[in-house]
Amino acid sequence: MSMENVSQELVKVLHHHMDANILQWMEEKIDAISSNRSSKDLYLTYSLMAAKINTVEAVNMPFGTNNVIQYLKAQNANLLQIGRVYLLIRVLEADEEFFFKKVENIIQVSDTGELVTFLKFLILMPNSGNYKNVAVEALRTNIATIFDAISLKNPYPSMFFNDQQWNQMYLKAAFMERDLSLIMDIDNRANKDLARIISDYAHERWAASRKVDPYFWRPVGKFLNEALLDDMKRLLQSGNEKENMVAALTCSISENPQAKELLDNCPDMKSKIESGLISWNNIK
Amino acid sequence: MKDKLMIIDPHVHMTSRTTDDYEAMAAAGIVAVIEPSFWLGQPRTQVGSFQDYYSSLVGWEPFRASQFGIKHYCTIGLNSKEANNEALAEQVIELLPLYFHKENVVAIGEIGYDDQTPAEDKYFRMQLDLARELNMTVQVHTPHRDKKAGTIKSMEVCLEHGLDPSNVIIDHNNEETVKEVLDRGFIAAFTIYPKTKMGNERMVEVVRKYGSKNIIVDSSADWGVSDPLAVPKTASLMLSRGISKEDVIKTCYQNALDAFGKNGKMKEEHWLGDKGIDQRELFNDNSVLRGQEPKIGGDSIV
Repeated sequence: MSMENVSQELVKVLHHHMDANILQWMEEKIDAISSNRSSKDLYLTYSLMAAKINTVEAVNMPFGTNNVIQYLKAQNANLLQIGRVYLLIRVLEADEEFFFKKVENIIQVSDTGELVTFLKFLILMPNSGNYKNVAVEALRTNIATIFDAISLKNPYPSMFFNDQQWNQMYLKAAFMERDLSLIMDIDNRANKDLARIISDYAHERWAASRKVDPYFWRPVGKFLNEALLDDMKRLLQSGNEKENMVAALTCSISENPQAKELLDNCPDMKSKIESGLISWNNIK
Repeated sequence: MKDKLMIIDPHVHMTSRTTDDYEAMAAAGIVAVIEPSFWLGQPRTQVGSFQDYYSSLVGWEPFRASQFGIKHYCTIGLNSKEANNEALAEQVIELLPLYFHKENVVAIGEIGYDDQTPAEDKYFRMQLDLARELNMTVQVHTPHRDKKAGTIKSMEVCLEHGLDPSNVIIDHNNEETVKEVLDRGFIAAFTIYPKTKMGNERMVEVVRKYGSKNIIVDSSADWGVSDPLAVPKTASLMLSRGISKEDVIKTCYQNALDAFGKNGKMKEEHWLGDKGIDQRELFNDNSVLRGQEPKIGGDSIV
C-alpha cells in the first residue's frame, strides 16, 4: 500500500471538517515551528491540539480511491488524530533531521490515546520504517487497545517486522483472543517457524481442554510436515465444521502429497474450495 | 451502605494500592478517582524517573482502574518535597507541559509547600504561572507542619499569581484552616486519615458547621497507613449522623466533579454511560488478571 502526498490529502480532510480558525492557527504554528526550529513550540502546539480540536464529531471522508483517504476511513480516524498526524508530518517534511528526535520524544511521552494514534498512522509518516522500535515495543503492552492499534488492520507490521517480530505478534494476538482475520498479509508473512509455533500452541491448548480459534491455522498451509499433517487429520475429524474447512483449505495450498491425499478424501469440500464457495472468509 | 451513592475520591494514589483495593472501592460505590502526582517515598534522582511515573499515570494506571470499572484521572505537577532538589526540579518543570493536556489530566497538582523552603516557593510559583497561562485548575498540597501559616501563604501566593480561587483546590484542611479557605473563595478538600489528623467523625462535624458548599472529602490513600474507602465510609457516617443526602452527594461526589471537571477531561458520562465492566475486552496475557475468569457486566466485580 503506497502512501503518497500524505500531507496534501490530510489537509483536504481538515479543510472540510475543521473549524477554519483552528486550521489557520495550526498552519501558522507549523510555519513558525518549521522556520524557527522550535521544539518548545512544537510540544506546546501538539499539546494544545487536544484542547482545541473536537473529536466527538464524526469525520465523513471524501469519496475517491486515494490510499491515504481509504486508510483513514478503515481506521475510523477522528479529527484530532488526523490533526496530530498532520502536524508531525509537516514538521518532518520541513526538516526531518532536526525534528525526528522531537517526534520520537512526543511518542515516548504519549498517553494511551496518543499512542494508539501513532501506531495506527505510523504508516503515513515520512520514512515510517524509522519508527519500528515504537511498533515492536507496542507488542509488549498489556493494554489491548494499544496492541490492536499496531496489529489489526495495519499494514505496518507486514511491511517492516522481521519474522521473529511478526511471529511474536501473531501468537500474542491469538493468545489475547483478538480477531485474527483483521491482521493484514497473513499469507505473505507465513513462515516455517510460525507454522511450528502454531502447532505447539494448539497442542498446549488442547492439553488444557481449551479451544483454538480455527483462523489461527491460516499460515501453516505451505509448511505442512509430519506433525502438522497429524494436526490436519485431527481437524478433519473434528465435530466443528469450521475446523474441517480449515484443514481442507490448508491442504489445498500444500505441495505435500499426503496433504493432497487428505483433501482428495473430502471431495465435497475440495470442489467447494475450487469453486470459491469455501475460503478463509468463511472461517472468520 | 444501605443507600448506595456514587462516590468520587479526588485524591488517591492508586499506583501504591492493590487490586483488592480497586475491587473494594468499586463495591463501595466509587466510580472515579483522581490520582495526584506526588512523592514516592524514595526520592527520585533522574528526570527519567519522573517521566516514566507521569507516563504511568496517563497510561497503565487508567487501564488498571478500568478493569475494575473505575474511571481514573490524574493531576500532574512537581511535588513540594522533590522541588528541593533544584538541579532535578529544573528538568522536571521543562517536562510538565508535555503532560498537561493528556486525555485524563484534570489539573496541575499536587503542588505547594512541605517545609516552606525557598526552592519549594520558587517551583510552586513557576507552576502557578503555568496554570494561569494554560487556564488549568490547581490542586494544592498544604504542609503537615506549620499547617495554618502554610495554608494561608499558599492561598496568598495563588492570588498573587493571578489565579481564580474557585479554580484552586486547597487540600488537607482541618478545623483550623477551613474557615480561612472558604472565606477567600477557594475550594476546601479534606483528607480523612484513619488514625491521626482528620478522622471522619470530625469531618461530619465540619460539614454540619460549614455546610457542603466548596467542601470536598478525599482519602489521599497512598503507600502509608491509609484507607482507600475513607470517602464512602465518611459518606455513610454522615448519613447515619443526620447530614442530608444532598450535602453528602455534594461533598463526596458533585463538588469534586465540578472542581476537576472544568477542562472537560472528566465527565459524568464516562461512568454513567458505562456498559459495565468487561475484563474480557481488556483481558490479555499478563494483565491484572492472573488466571481468574474475566468478569463481565454488572455493577459489581466482587
